[in-house]
Amino acid sequence: MNQFLRSLSPTQQVAALFLIIFGVLAIASTAALFLGFREKRNPVHDAAWQAELAHFRKLLGTTWFMVLVFWIGWALGETVATVLFALISFFALREFITLSPTRRGDHRSLILAFFVVLPIQFWLVATARFDLFTVFIPVYVFLAIPVASALANDPSQFLERNAKLQWGIMVCVYGMSHVPALLLLSFPGYEGKSAFLVFFLVFVVQTSVLVQHLISRRMQREPFAPNVSRSFNWTSWAIGIAVASLVGALFSFITPFRFGQALAVSVIACISGSMGHLVMKALKRDRGIPNWGRKDAGVTGANGLLDRVDALCFAAPIFFHSIRWYFNA
Amino acid sequence: MLAKLTGWLLLGIVRLLTGAQARWYGCPPKAEQRIYFANHQSHADLVMIWAALPEELRSITRPIAARDYWANTAVKRWITTEVFNAVYVERQATSAPAAAPPAPATDAAPEAPPPAPAAHPVARTLDERIEPSMEPLLPLTPPAPPAETAPGAQGQLDLPEPPAPPPAPPPEPPPPAAPEPAPAPTAPAPDPLAPLVEALRSGDSIIIFPEGTRGHTGEPQKFKSGLYTLATMFPEVVLVPAWIDNVQRVMPKGEIVPVPILCSVTFGAPIRVEQDEERRPFLDRARAAVIALRDV
Repeated sequence: MNQFLRSLSPTQQVAALFLIIFGVLAIASTAALFLGFREKRNPVHDAAWQAELAHFRKLLGTTWFMVLVFWIGWALGETVATVLFALISFFALREFITLSPTRRGDHRSLILAFFVVLPIQFWLVATARFDLFTVFIPVYVFLAIPVASALANDPSQFLERNAKLQWGIMVCVYGMSHVPALLLLSFPGYEGKSAFLVFFLVFVVQTSVLVQHLISRRMQREPFAPNVSRSFNWTSWAIGIAVASLVGALFSFITPFRFGQALAVSVIACISGSMGHLVMKALKRDRGIPNWGRKDAGVTGANGLLDRVDALCFAAPIFFHSIRWYFNA
Repeated sequence: MLAKLTGWLLLGIVRLLTGAQARWYGCPPKAEQRIYFANHQSHADLVMIWAALPEELRSITRPIAARDYWANTAVKRWITTEVFNAVYVERQATSAPAAAPPAPATDAAPEAPPPAPAAHPVARTLDERIEPSMEPLLPLTPPAPPAETAPGAQGQLDLPEPPAPPPAPPPEPPPPAAPEPAPAPTAPAPDPLAPLVEALRSGDSIIIFPEGTRGHTGEPQKFKSGLYTLATMFPEVVLVPAWIDNVQRVMPKGEIVPVPILCSVTFGAPIRVEQDEERRPFLDRARAAVIALRDV
């Protein structure tokens, strides 16, 4: 099996990976469907179980969607993939700004963020100008945004408003732009397979968030920072990271890393991802909303995209820069 | 053909920028004749609610557009007539005396009260200028202006509505009675409601903004009486309240480029004029129904 996989060309390997994922998803969806049917005919489980099933199916739906998006991105090439991530970044920033109060004076800065900064950043990624794309936002944009705000002649809560906007850009644009940037890293002997690296990152980070979520549900430990997150505690956090890193290490064969290296970068990605998730939770609590999404509570029609990608937004830059530094890729 | 393409393009842009999400809470989207009445914060409200309606309803629903804003250039006129299929109303119509006083009163408002701490954070855009927009929607109020010039000095947010309860204006009696003998046929030319009546007669649904002016806080102003008049004239038409959220942030006054911010339109449960219900209580009830949708 392993021999066979290694004998395939990189493209075939990626295709095989997608095939496997689609297969697993199809099995899971069919199982869920049949479970639902059986329940409908003669309900043996209680309401909580039903809710769990519904939740699980919703999760499956999201996963299908994300995998399809990745598949399209991969099938149509790096440029399309970059555009895809630019769109995700756009929608995430839209959600972020929607739920952060802005004033009239912010209008020009917002235009700058959405229609200038975001396209330039992703264009820099697509053209692989690594030296510029890593500093473009932290240096140039962070100094330009306050200037635009100051010119709008509205000093009230100036620092707060600018900090919010800059933070939004940092997370949604800068963080997200590092995901497609992974496609452009070149490791010796790993040409044409960088799509695996993106998959690896997304897979590992999502696994850690998911495992952490499931464990904290089962264990009902005392939350460490109850005002920020009612589910976060160190035990489930550690288990989530351990499981996801181990999974990442087992998947080292799709990466340019050796087992130990894959374990190390997984740990780095998981820690930054789960911590980022926590940070975004704090932001949400501050805004008094449980989700960036639609109203069970939110004020707007957002669909909670930011909830799905926030861990990735934090993990991607750290993952990118750490492997780029260590492997000189 | 071109109109259709433009419509799609516009719809795409609006969806990309705002999401244009419709949330049907009190009633399903249904092809019956309706009057949608919504809060009014921006000229883009019209586009928002148009985009939020499902395709089938969009073709039978006509938004109300102020002629001086939406028809002042050829492009805008073409879009409003061909794409939105809008009904033009004149603002600053013949009832100018009724329209004029409210404006100075509200201009004073921004400084005086710290108005809406409870409201949406967005509400703090104080420097938003207000201007009278849908003034013509108060056709029955001309008798009142003398009464209401006096309180114009106080910077209250809730404007004293021209028709204060006691001075019941002369043309009041007809509404509860019969739809047909109502003011429309009697005053065809100057009546700003006439185009709306026309649209309703021909079986279309309409979208109106009964506040009359665009508000600058989260809280809608008092409703003008046009809604009541139409409701009593067409008792079989369903009145659906709607709350348009966030639009004023997308494109504040004076800006040309819109910013992507999610907006939604929430449609509530239909209301109706009760037996013998007076105008003011009904309008207050309608306003409350709209405001209630903000926190759904």
